[in-house]
Amino acid sequence: MTTYVLRRLLLMLPVAFLVTVGVFLLIHLSRGDPALVLLGEDRSPQAIAAIHHELGLDQPLYVQYGIWLGRLARGDLGRSVITHQTVSDAILERLPATLELGVVALLWSLLVAIPLGTIAAVRRGSVADHLATGFTVGGVSVPNFFIGIVLIFVLSVSLHLFPFGGYVPLTRDPYESLRHVLLPAIALGTAGAAINMRFTRSSMIEVLNHDFIRTARAKGASWRRVVFAHALKNALIPVVTVVGLQIGGIIEGAIVTETVFTWPGVGRLAVESIFDRDYTVVQGIVLLAAFSYMFANLLVDLVYGWLDPRISYA
Amino acid sequence: MRRTIVVVLCLLMAAACGGGQNGTSQSTTPKNGGSATIALENELRTLDPLDSSLLVEREVFYNMYDSLFTIDPKLVIKPGLVKQWDVADPVTYKFTLQSGVKFHDGTPFDAQSVKDNVTRYKTAANSRRKSDLASVDTVEVVDSTHVTFHLKKADATLLATLVDRAGMMLSMAALKAGGQNFSLSPVGAGSGPFQFVEWKRNDHLTLKKNATYWKPGLPHLDGLTYRAIPDVNAILAALKTGDIDVARTISSKDVAGLKADSNFVYRDMPALGFNGMELNTSAPPFNDPAKRKAVALAVDKYAILKNVYFNIGVVAYGPIPPSSWAFDGSEKVFDHGDAAKAKSMATGFTFTYKTTADPVLQQLAQLMAAELTKAGITMQVQSEDFATYQQECQNHQFQACNVNWSGRVDPDGNMYAWWHTGGDFNDSVYSNAQVDGWLDDARTTTDQTKRKQDYDNAQKQIVTDAPYVFSFFGTSAQISDNKIHDFTLYPDLMIRMAEVWKG
Repeated sequence: MTTYVLRRLLLMLPVAFLVTVGVFLLIHLSRGDPALVLLGEDRSPQAIAAIHHELGLDQPLYVQYGIWLGRLARGDLGRSVITHQTVSDAILERLPATLELGVVALLWSLLVAIPLGTIAAVRRGSVADHLATGFTVGGVSVPNFFIGIVLIFVLSVSLHLFPFGGYVPLTRDPYESLRHVLLPAIALGTAGAAINMRFTRSSMIEVLNHDFIRTARAKGASWRRVVFAHALKNALIPVVTVVGLQIGGIIEGAIVTETVFTWPGVGRLAVESIFDRDYTVVQGIVLLAAFSYMFANLLVDLVYGWLDPRISYA
Repeated sequence: MRRTIVVVLCLLMAAACGGGQNGTSQSTTPKNGGSATIALENELRTLDPLDSSLLVEREVFYNMYDSLFTIDPKLVIKPGLVKQWDVADPVTYKFTLQSGVKFHDGTPFDAQSVKDNVTRYKTAANSRRKSDLASVDTVEVVDSTHVTFHLKKADATLLATLVDRAGMMLSMAALKAGGQNFSLSPVGAGSGPFQFVEWKRNDHLTLKKNATYWKPGLPHLDGLTYRAIPDVNAILAALKTGDIDVARTISSKDVAGLKADSNFVYRDMPALGFNGMELNTSAPPFNDPAKRKAVALAVDKYAILKNVYFNIGVVAYGPIPPSSWAFDGSEKVFDHGDAAKAKSMATGFTFTYKTTADPVLQQLAQLMAAELTKAGITMQVQSEDFATYQQECQNHQFQACNVNWSGRVDPDGNMYAWWHTGGDFNDSVYSNAQVDGWLDDARTTTDQTKRKQDYDNAQKQIVTDAPYVFSFFGTSAQISDNKIHDFTLYPDLMIRMAEVWKG
């Protein structure tokens, strides 16, 4: 098991390397110049040249990449080109907001998906099933920014039930924090909820047709026990796969939601940094996103082993 | 004797500012205490004047740092940390400093501080103040309260430059203590009415009262909180819910509504900046002066101001705003839009106009395109993200660009870099030997009448040649709740809070 985890961790390095090359090229080859963003109305050819020199942007791209990679190998993500804050500080400062949003969104998606998916599978063809399927189609096809805007319009602007945008740290005021996080979390989590529900339903239907379910029923186990203790645990394996990918995709999904709800998380930092051509911060965030995907995948594989003892990594 | 006169003058100034002078709101006896929350349109990047380039940063600096000079609402240069000045000859400026001024960290401000700060601004690798202070050769410390600026060449704009960031004085001890994080946490660095407490990026920036401020009786407020709210609609919402007390800008469409609401104050004056579009004179189609003039004739400034900006602002005929001493209201080379006259100049051509995706700028682009169509000119709108558009305009990769200017206290700042051959902002690649001559002369002459004549001539020529189509001047506004008193409006858009009180 430990060897397996270590091997997986080592395998992440080449992937991470490719990610760094990709993100470095993409952001550096896009148009726009951080020196101009920095200087604004104080621009002059001398000042632009001085900033290029200061940031090392006057060096060939491969030298810039080498310097950045060298620092990265020592665990140093560098300093923001625009604000001079260290990239790790900039990300860590925003991470709690994104994690809170991501966790609540994930909880929302699971709380909706698993019960609904189970009911839809057990009562196939019933009204509940049709409603759940309708929800799935809607949840997947409506983009999260639109859900966000509708939620803001109805629940905050018209009914004044929830605050419009903004973030209150959990540590400062848990109640207010939850009030603020709910709408963005619903907007962010609904598409995931729909997908998870779909997976739960189809996987559950498949499991319910297995022989061991009939055996369990024949032994006299109650229907409830059969569904929840025997079937559900087995049905969850594919769900865990998609949920794992969703965990990895929290930052990615949060980009749009955080912008709509002015949520000061990593997603919005990514957007701001891309617009400002803040190379180092963009590189740091993409790297973080890539690692979260890879760790989520590893986690998923480990959870498989727990859900299905036949899967072993020894 | 001289000092006494200056002290009396200072007191008179303070009294005048509290007494409903032009630009000041009605007031009774100021109350001390309370704090005010101010909205910023974007988040700051630095708290060090050395590498600052944002308007919102300057706004905070004016409340935290003192400059060598200040301005009054009519843009007249007034004493700041410099109490008296004497221009011995065009390249020698002798300054007498205020005595007894202390920085927030307790260290004294003196002649050495001036020399150290100017040296730092002129030499630090990441300094954005180098071009501001390019004309300064050396700063000589005469004694603790006297310094002499020796210039490389005459520079009529020096005092105006020293009003802004290049003239802001910081404690060298605080700079040293702050180290690499100074620009994020400049503890004790200023000598201004408020001192730095903390800055949590994307949340708030807090300043507290400087209890030992050298201007007696000021400030009135116990503290200031700044919040970055990068959306004009959200700024208005925050003002209405009482989350903020003061804002610099709201959407033009909301001004009438706010003016009608007695809980709030809205009043404005012309600011220093101009708005319009620059035309690239180095490439087709606008290397043809007739086509530039045709566009300048066809665009109706009045329609733009009315339909896009709800008449918040003043129609612009040239680069120098009505708030400046160099303004000439009689120069109206291009006035109302005139499609027929434009057609007689040039018609039947197409050009691309670059702008950003901002909704108001999109409306502006549509309106201009419609007006140009009347003159048989096709304007294609190309929207880009800000960094791309900024780079393309600066690199002359455009036909027409929507580039605006926030304006400078001295008219030189609205002219030289824009239209002098090779100027830093001369994106249009405009070059006219006569204009260069006038602009050079105005820079080196200290006689204001002569300078105004130069600017009149240059302005008329620039507008006629039309490398830039002027549409309107923006406004500087007080946008606040009605508890804010003694708020003085300045054309430079800076919100100065030293004299403001709440009650």
